[in-house]
Amino acid sequence: MERNLTHIALFAALIAVLGLVPKIDLASGVPITAQSLGIMLCGTVLGAKRGTLAVLLFLGLTALGLPLLAGGRGGLGVFVSPTAGYLVGFPLAAFVAGLVMEKWRAPVGMAAFGGAFLGGLVVLHACGIAGMAVVLGKTLPEAAGLALPFFAGDLLKAVIAGAITQGLARVRPQALLSRG
Amino acid sequence: MDGIEFSGVEYAVQGKPVLQGITLSLHERRIGIVGRNGSGKTTLLRLMAGLVAPTGGTIRVAGVDPAVDRKAMLRAIGILFQNPDHQIIFPTVEEELAFGLRQLGLRADEATARVRACLAAEARAHWAAAPVTALSQGQKQWLCLMAVLLMEPATLLLDEPFAALDLPTQARLSRRLAALPQRLITISHDPQAVAECDRVIWLETGRVVGDGAAAGVLAAFRAEMARRGDSDADTDLGA
Amino acid sequence: MLTLTSAHETAAHRWPAGPKLAAAALGSALIFPVQALPVIGGALLALAALHLVLGWGFTREAAGRLWMLWPFLLVLALWHLWTGELRAGAVIAGRMVFAVALANLVTMTTRLDAMLAVVERLLTPFARFGLNPRVLALAVALVIRFTPVLLDKAGQLRQAWRARSPKRAGVAIVLPLVLTALDDADHVAEALRARGGL
Repeated sequence: MERNLTHIALFAALIAVLGLVPKIDLASGVPITAQSLGIMLCGTVLGAKRGTLAVLLFLGLTALGLPLLAGGRGGLGVFVSPTAGYLVGFPLAAFVAGLVMEKWRAPVGMAAFGGAFLGGLVVLHACGIAGMAVVLGKTLPEAAGLALPFFAGDLLKAVIAGAITQGLARVRPQALLSRG
Repeated sequence: MDGIEFSGVEYAVQGKPVLQGITLSLHERRIGIVGRNGSGKTTLLRLMAGLVAPTGGTIRVAGVDPAVDRKAMLRAIGILFQNPDHQIIFPTVEEELAFGLRQLGLRADEATARVRACLAAEARAHWAAAPVTALSQGQKQWLCLMAVLLMEPATLLLDEPFAALDLPTQARLSRRLAALPQRLITISHDPQAVAECDRVIWLETGRVVGDGAAAGVLAAFRAEMARRGDSDADTDLGA
Repeated sequence: MLTLTSAHETAAHRWPAGPKLAAAALGSALIFPVQALPVIGGALLALAALHLVLGWGFTREAAGRLWMLWPFLLVLALWHLWTGELRAGAVIAGRMVFAVALANLVTMTTRLDAMLAVVERLLTPFARFGLNPRVLALAVALVIRFTPVLLDKAGQLRQAWRARSPKRAGVAIVLPLVLTALDDADHVAEALRARGGL
């Protein structure tokens, strides 16, 4: 019980930290903010239920006024801005990533990539695009055009999420609660 | 004061034994436990505090099983972890100190009043709202000690209490500890830290290899450590 | 940790949090279906006036926080210049700025503990479904406590990287960061248990 709570809280903090650290290099010299990587890892490491709760805790604190989103943003304003759909998609993405990890008994790295791809790319962008369409008064395909430039980076993040989860399974197998 | 009884205690992690055949009856007021890193000292402390349950044998603290009756343990045993950062749960000094009192059943306002009084008595009233991240290592150690002492446990377990402290802070802390009325059980790899104890227990690879008055046990311990230090090999991965 | 509450102490800081939140929610809901440009313009002017009444420094800070909307305003401007429906574009942009500014106003004038008190009140009915407000408060405290700790660890990892590499730190620092989070979670769980658990 205590461990559930502390894992949820520490991963909520981890999502924040991955958004707040200065950009890190993705592959060769392409800087990224790693916040959505944190969302994917919540699902692939903690599993569907705890991962979703960690993301909800993170979003709750953001809404209450802590600057935890990438670049130090936060507060209620971001929940009515054009990117609000992505925030709604965060917990769903973690849930889907965790669910894939739990149900698909493929090798860890493969299942984690699959979960991160389906949750962090498909589900997350579906929500984000819908949100932009509503706030900006555009059709879904038009809003999708705005999200398109980010697909390549997010695909790479899903690969990284898979690799990190696999690395974790190698050095600390008992820590992988999604396969517990 | 009721004592702490170990009878035939075993503790294993994934089949690998960490402690074996521990039978001890602890009644002295100042007890030291020495051993090298990985000898099982910290595990012994965790077992006494009921943070983990033994895989064999029984442990009784004042007659109750510490891993089962957690409520009774709050008044029986307090534990000061080696690294204060592993112990501090809350973002501010006041919240950290109030938590244990709330756990004992005090109302929020009662707990706050007690915390304020404690801070005032320690001439640290201005610390109440301070973020814990602003404290130095020694100040964090002090905060952890206060958080435990506020709960007034009969026995205090100390895990390498001086490990990360500079010399003046060490002196201050050991003076403070020496004055406490509680039973203290101190673990350390440093014989100096337990030289003043009424009784010293020496652990080696999960077994008790020495037990008795401080002078005798520590002399043997020092001699053995010096002998090992002279040989260069440190190649055992233990896995 | 820093919060987004404005350091410019205004009269609105003293208004109760619950009604402020309700008013902001109502304002956003009311503005959303509006298509008439004059109504939206009027609402924006009224909101700007409210900011000015609360103080000039406060207004400047609020305006700075709307800066994050510029890419979207640019997209809207280009799009509606292209299609020639400038009026429709102005409605969408005005609505968006109003909703975000109104929500920011609440965030900027309400302290974290006041927000938490509202949340705890709102969650009380859910206690019977097993949602313990005390556990929630503990979870919130843990995030506030450990975000700076993990941020610090990330800084150390970047430094260790820089000490041995000419390049910017790469994703290789994420795995040790995850391990730190997992270790801290175990340690805090033990510290909680040592002082009576949940």
